[in-house]
Amino acid sequence: MARSSAAAILDTGDLPRKADVVIVGAGIAGLAFARELAARGVRDVVVVERGYPGGGATGRNVARIRAMQLTEELTYVARACQVKYDRMGEELGFNVLFYRVGYAWVLYDADEVERMRAIVEMHHRIGVGSQFLSPDDTLRRLPILRGGEPVAGAVLNDDAIVHHDAVVWAHLEHLARTSVRVVPGTAVHAIVPGERGVEAVETDRGRIATRAVLNATDGWSGELNAMAGVEAPNRPIRREVLVTAPLRRTIEAAVTFYRPTEGWFNQTLRGEVVMGVVDPDEAPGVDQRSSWDFLRRTATLMTRKAPALADVAVIRQWAGTYDISPDHQPLVGPTRQLEGWWQANGWSGRGMLLAPYLTELLAERFVTGMTHAHLAMFDPDRFDATGDTDVRRTDYYARYADPSH
Amino acid sequence: MPARRVSGRPGASSGPLVTFTFDGRDCEGVEGEPFAASLLAADRLILSRSFRFHRPRGLMCSTGQCGWCECEVDGVPSVRSCRVPVREGLVARGEHAFPSVERDLLSLVGLASRWIPPTFYHHRFLRPRRLRKRYLDVLRWFGGRGRLRMGSRAPVPGRPTRRIETDVLVVGGGQAGLLAARGAAEVGARVVLVEAGTDRGTATLADLDVGAEAAGVEILTGVAAVGWYDGMVAAIGGDAHIEIRAGAVVAATGSYERVPLVPGADRPGVLAARTVTDLIERHGVLPGERALLVGDADALAEATQLLRRAGASELIGPVPSTSLASVRGRARVTGATLHTDGKRRHVAIDLVVFGDRSPNLEIVLAAGAVVARQGDTLVPVLDGSGRTTVGNLFVAGSAAGRSVVAGVAADDARAAGRAAAVLATGKATPPPSTTPGRPATTHVAPAVSRGAIVCFCEDVRAWEIRAEQAAGYTDPELVKRRTGALTGPCQGKYCLQSFACLVGAGAIPTTRPPLRPVRLGDLVASETDDAGGA
Repeated sequence: MARSSAAAILDTGDLPRKADVVIVGAGIAGLAFARELAARGVRDVVVVERGYPGGGATGRNVARIRAMQLTEELTYVARACQVKYDRMGEELGFNVLFYRVGYAWVLYDADEVERMRAIVEMHHRIGVGSQFLSPDDTLRRLPILRGGEPVAGAVLNDDAIVHHDAVVWAHLEHLARTSVRVVPGTAVHAIVPGERGVEAVETDRGRIATRAVLNATDGWSGELNAMAGVEAPNRPIRREVLVTAPLRRTIEAAVTFYRPTEGWFNQTLRGEVVMGVVDPDEAPGVDQRSSWDFLRRTATLMTRKAPALADVAVIRQWAGTYDISPDHQPLVGPTRQLEGWWQANGWSGRGMLLAPYLTELLAERFVTGMTHAHLAMFDPDRFDATGDTDVRRTDYYARYADPSH
Repeated sequence: MPARRVSGRPGASSGPLVTFTFDGRDCEGVEGEPFAASLLAADRLILSRSFRFHRPRGLMCSTGQCGWCECEVDGVPSVRSCRVPVREGLVARGEHAFPSVERDLLSLVGLASRWIPPTFYHHRFLRPRRLRKRYLDVLRWFGGRGRLRMGSRAPVPGRPTRRIETDVLVVGGGQAGLLAARGAAEVGARVVLVEAGTDRGTATLADLDVGAEAAGVEILTGVAAVGWYDGMVAAIGGDAHIEIRAGAVVAATGSYERVPLVPGADRPGVLAARTVTDLIERHGVLPGERALLVGDADALAEATQLLRRAGASELIGPVPSTSLASVRGRARVTGATLHTDGKRRHVAIDLVVFGDRSPNLEIVLAAGAVVARQGDTLVPVLDGSGRTTVGNLFVAGSAAGRSVVAGVAADDARAAGRAAAVLATGKATPPPSTTPGRPATTHVAPAVSRGAIVCFCEDVRAWEIRAEQAAGYTDPELVKRRTGALTGPCQGKYCLQSFACLVGAGAIPTTRPPLRPVRLGDLVASETDDAGGA
């Protein structure tokens, strides 16, 4: 039954007793999967959310939608993801502010330049229009870096940002017009197994009988997997962000650098600058507390790279989680460990980018049983064979940054 | 001329005259006074424009908190001009306006404001496809505020870190803070008090200072607490970062002005009572001739007396806040509508002085302590000793919702300090915290005019908050994100109380550090310090 009432955006009614699919987590992955299931005619879909929709990593990230990736496979997938976002506004009738602000990977060392030249060639082969900038051109395109540490160049393309909250609202308003129910304030505390797999989900507001559950809880996926007796190697790690008072149009691309440590900044459409410097020694665990050290670490490095930023006023900081998998790629698909248990987590900081497209493929898999090549890469059971489960040792960017690999 | 220097007034403003520039026009001021006061003396009221609708804004709180006076000063963006001493040759300009803040053509956007809810662009600008980027370019042009100086500059000096361990930390050096500090020191605790301001205003405070220092309190002025991080209080002052770990903390952080929740209350010429007092007494500037006094007579007493003495020609009131229906005017206050005994009455005025205040809950909320509604105000839930539901956090004075002017509250502040000291030093077992649970507060949505501005940084009106709730975005966190309320530069200092009041019981979205805006350059840690290095 389609409900047109806008007041159904958040469903506060009684929980249904049974459902075809229960999605746990109303972040981008859960909501996008619900949308794709509804589009394929799956009727009884319930999204349960402990807090409010978009209250986890989805509402805490800065939503860079970038095709610029380091491996060929991922670049292909990311480009498809970007197309998905480009069309999202029209498909959902809701402008998610997809904006091609540009993306600049700023390089500081000669070995980075060498490495990135090869990657730019790969991008060109695939048809991603990255360009390599000389140090002078870098400062011309990004005057914010003037007077800072000398740059060795940059790779620039026309990647986009979106409004992360708008993506959540677009999905909520779309889902309110379908038979999907999005139920906030509902925590799952047990998974009831049966002889043939999952049988029910036990929540603090009652039990829902179901034969299919999607774990779309990213940073909390380990907790939920444990309830089902499923093992997965992804681990949550805190990432912090700060935001400044709004500035006039000042920064012309979303900037990222990796030397001496990973840092990034960009300007939102409203003019605020969001930024962060990553702590390479951050210990795994769900931790959404903001830290004083983050403010100082970020200020210290950012004013070295872009001294003009010294004058901006920090008005707010927050923290969210990255759910990091050993190869820094998500776990998307059914697991062989438990019949009816589906994963869409371990996004490793790329959930906003990857989830809408990959959950489309996942819904296709759910309905037809066919696995698209782009989905097969993210098989949740891929780590069993390799025994590759240390999330820190195999850091994706450490591999990039350290030439000895 | 409505705002002017008080004629023949000697005293406070006796420095030499200097000339500075605001928005390309010269202005004279007395050296050392805030340049917002100099501009006001020249009857130039508009200092900034609001973010969304370019509404004119002027001086309001005069404590550097509300942000209505933000200008670019000597190339630094978004500086709170009520805290900038004027000097010869200072160059300031208004931000976010064309061609100037005083005559801003962009304010025409305001004419359409009733058709522009905060999420309007989510339902537009999708077609034609080829213009989508252009639409957002335009939207981006309308956003933004400050300008940055690009290019080379002297390297930003890093600040060393000073770590302080103490028994009791008192945040805030007003009467309540000083009394609490003294109370704690008398029990024999090591006490540190931080105060963001540098000048000790009144004689009473100076006396209290001496008393507290004599009792052994270490008083650090010019040190602003910027965050509560799991009990560690981070502060910046004296060119250092200060990390303070204390056995117990007393928040004596005072209160914020409660701007009347009526349409037009953000017009230049609506001033907090304390600002009026400051302007007349310290700077010899009379901010208006015909004043309407709104709120509690006690809170307005000093300002009323000063206005009268400075020669204001007409004083109306005090009238209770509930009888103010709207403030009228465009670039400045020209009138107000009062609602008394079922009748509406218009008064012609050029100044509104309001006295209502509500507790500063920032540290309380940052620590995760429980607050409750008392009438239309949120106050921290405290036990008999002033202790919050977070074991080692105490609140004293107006931050607890009590006025220290009353003797009882002064005793309470002292008692809170003593209790904090007892807890921190373990000298005696503190009485078990008789913390009540969250009291059952029945929420009655107040009869707020739909056009009343709730959040000033983002120009969020009461009807917009109600519309989001009606549309099904019932969670306060979603109302916050959808409307932008609480997310502007003041981070809810001037709207949290009204927002909570409108949205309903328990409706307090998460507050986040820092406690006040901090320049990125001030957060740079010195290289020698491992704790802050990159």
